[in-house]
Amino acid sequence: MSDFNEEESSGRRKFIRVTTIGISAACGIFPLAAGIPALLDPVKKNSGESAKVPWSKVAPFASLPEDGSPAKFEVVQETVVDAWTTYKDIPVGAVYLTRKEDEVIAFNLKCPHLGCAIDFRKQTNDYFCPCHNSSFALDGSVTTENSPSPRPMDTMETKVEKGQVWIRFQQFRPNIEEKIPLS
Amino acid sequence: MKMIFDWLDDRSGYRNLLHEVLYEKVPGGARWRYVWGSCLTFAFFTQVVTGTLLWMFYSPSAQTAWESVYFLQYQVWGGWFLRGVHHYMAQAMIVLLVLHLMQVVIDGAYRAPRELNFWFGALMMGVTLALSLTGYLLPWDQKGYWATAVATNLMAEVPLIGPAIQQVVVGGVEYGHHTLTRFFALHAGVLPAMLVGLVVVHIYLFRKHGIHVKEPRPKKDSYFWPDQILKDAIACLAVLLAVVALTVYFHGAPLGPPADPANEFPARPEWYFLFLFQLLKYVPAFWGAVIIPVFLALWIFLQPFIGSTRPGHQLNIGFWWTLIAGSVALTLLAFSEDNANLRHSAALEEADWQAERVLSIVQEEGIPPAGAVTLLRKDHENRGRNLFAAHCASCHRYNGHDGRGYPVDDAQSAPELAGFASVEWISKLLNHEHYISEEYFGGTKFKNGTMARKVLAKYTAEETALLPRIATLLSDMAQLPYQTPLSEDEREELLALFYNDDLVFQDGLACIDCHDIDSEDEGHAPDLTGYGSDEWTIAFLENPEDERFYGDENDRMPCYGRDGKLTNEEIKILSDWIRSRPSE
Ligand code: FES
Repeated sequence: MSDFNEEESSGRRKFIRVTTIGISAACGIFPLAAGIPALLDPVKKNSGESAKVPWSKVAPFASLPEDGSPAKFEVVQETVVDAWTTYKDIPVGAVYLTRKEDEVIAFNLKCPHLGCAIDFRKQTNDYFCPCHNSSFALDGSVTTENSPSPRPMDTMETKVEKGQVWIRFQQFRPNIEEKIPLS
Repeated sequence: MKMIFDWLDDRSGYRNLLHEVLYEKVPGGARWRYVWGSCLTFAFFTQVVTGTLLWMFYSPSAQTAWESVYFLQYQVWGGWFLRGVHHYMAQAMIVLLVLHLMQVVIDGAYRAPRELNFWFGALMMGVTLALSLTGYLLPWDQKGYWATAVATNLMAEVPLIGPAIQQVVVGGVEYGHHTLTRFFALHAGVLPAMLVGLVVVHIYLFRKHGIHVKEPRPKKDSYFWPDQILKDAIACLAVLLAVVALTVYFHGAPLGPPADPANEFPARPEWYFLFLFQLLKYVPAFWGAVIIPVFLALWIFLQPFIGSTRPGHQLNIGFWWTLIAGSVALTLLAFSEDNANLRHSAALEEADWQAERVLSIVQEEGIPPAGAVTLLRKDHENRGRNLFAAHCASCHRYNGHDGRGYPVDDAQSAPELAGFASVEWISKLLNHEHYISEEYFGGTKFKNGTMARKVLAKYTAEETALLPRIATLLSDMAQLPYQTPLSEDEREELLALFYNDDLVFQDGLACIDCHDIDSEDEGHAPDLTGYGSDEWTIAFLENPEDERFYGDENDRMPCYGRDGKLTNEEIKILSDWIRSRPSE
């Protein structure tokens, strides 16, 4: 009889313990859990199909040096959305533009290694990144062996319309061989 | 596994500590009435965690506070839920505070040797109230802005240093960036840190003196773990479920239209401060800001001593019950006064309208760097109704109100304009009974004019039945954006009626005899060519005394353009608004 009672009471005690721990844990984790989706929101927004990259007007075609040497331009985008703010006509980055007959080649100013700004060197007529000494030829290809930069300078789509150069400005994932747009 | 714990215990002695924490004696056994302290700790813990998460989304400045909250509420995955939990848990905390306080008072747990802890508890209550007060402003919406202005103005009542305190808290004379940065620092930094410190001391003191039990003991003594903890956990779960239910039911916390000092809004604090708000209707602000709080603080300080005798204890209990009953009564009074006040409900509806409006504009064009409030300020729909309220509504009405939903005190003395120039509106106008009613020209001299006495009043029933067709013709000329235009044939047919070609109006007279449509003749009644159209309405608003309209027959309608009362842009906005689909 007493054995039975003890068994029942120890069963009951176990139940109480488990329930208590369970409920306490649920309550303890809840506040954090309530914010997890919001916290992960940026990841979720990135995984969707990215919107088509818009065309931005950069400069008059006539302003590019005729000898094919590069010139640096700011890229002003018509609409830029940063979280809640919608900006109109603000600079989003810079490019080097070079003429190639009637067409234009555009290189992103950012180094494909880790994102420093690339210089154009007049004396040596090439591109040089002062951060970790990557250098690139005028066609964007890597010139040094053991270059820190794993790929050539990043090009972007361009077009010339009514004497104006347009560009689809983009940034790319740094420090990998493949050129993958960020969006 | 066991080895790791052994090592940890050896270095930290955590098992002893845990044992101490869990095997605290609960004299008289676990009871439901002891759960409130744990619930409060849980609620505070929730606020710290959710608050820190909210911090990752919030941007305290006059141009970004509302905007960042908007973004969290409507654009961030689950953002509304996070915000809702924080909002409703704050309210739950107030309820729990009152329950905890009353349990302590009724059980006499505030008396020796626990006086110190009682005072600490009272301090914590003050900090919690300060937390909710500062949090109320942070979304920078109309509600928080106007209510907090009242609260900070009360600070200025403190003798000598009041105005200085106010300026320090507000970060200047006017509300702005620094009000938000300061309130945010208080809300997310200073006050929580104080509360953490106080909680530690409070719990330490509580443990030192143990649970206060009322004799005779109801049951055998037991331990904190697991019996009392189970009860505590269940109570916390209940609080949590209630908060989740409220959050889901209301889809998170409300967000009003962005704060705008030029856009009036009836200031009301959060419901648990309403009694104070109501009290200020009866007592001078100085009482509310200084005398009553000082008296309360003193009384709370003395209570443990007063309570050392039995009658003293009864007095203390009576004091708190009276305070609660008084607060409840004042709160109910505040609610019922607001409910009975038509202007108040109109103001709330107006704010709802603005909040919805700003959301739909944001969806269309995004928020400019200058902030969302600029969207509403230049929005034509919003400006249209405000212009109507300011310039037209003292004589005209819009669905019986001033265009924004507010009742108007002056008697109506000019036509109702909701649905102006629509088929329905003109049909009613052409009905004699309506024409001479207050809804149209009852308040003007046209009530006794030719149109009323000699035309509309004289029509037979058959003739009157034809009038809605005339209305259809006239309304078509208005080219209202929400009506479909007539076909050419329909228009021809109706024009014939207007000219009374078939002599269906038996007196042989035609509308055209006095009112022109597309003709050069100057009939002496208003020209109806293009009646109600964009051009016509603008011209009419500019100068109703023009020959084309009332001429010298005009009855008090101001010449807004001719006399420079409104700019051309404002007249255009007003015209567009009057001609848009009527809203409720
Ligand atoms: S960032 Fe250009 S070389 Fe490293």
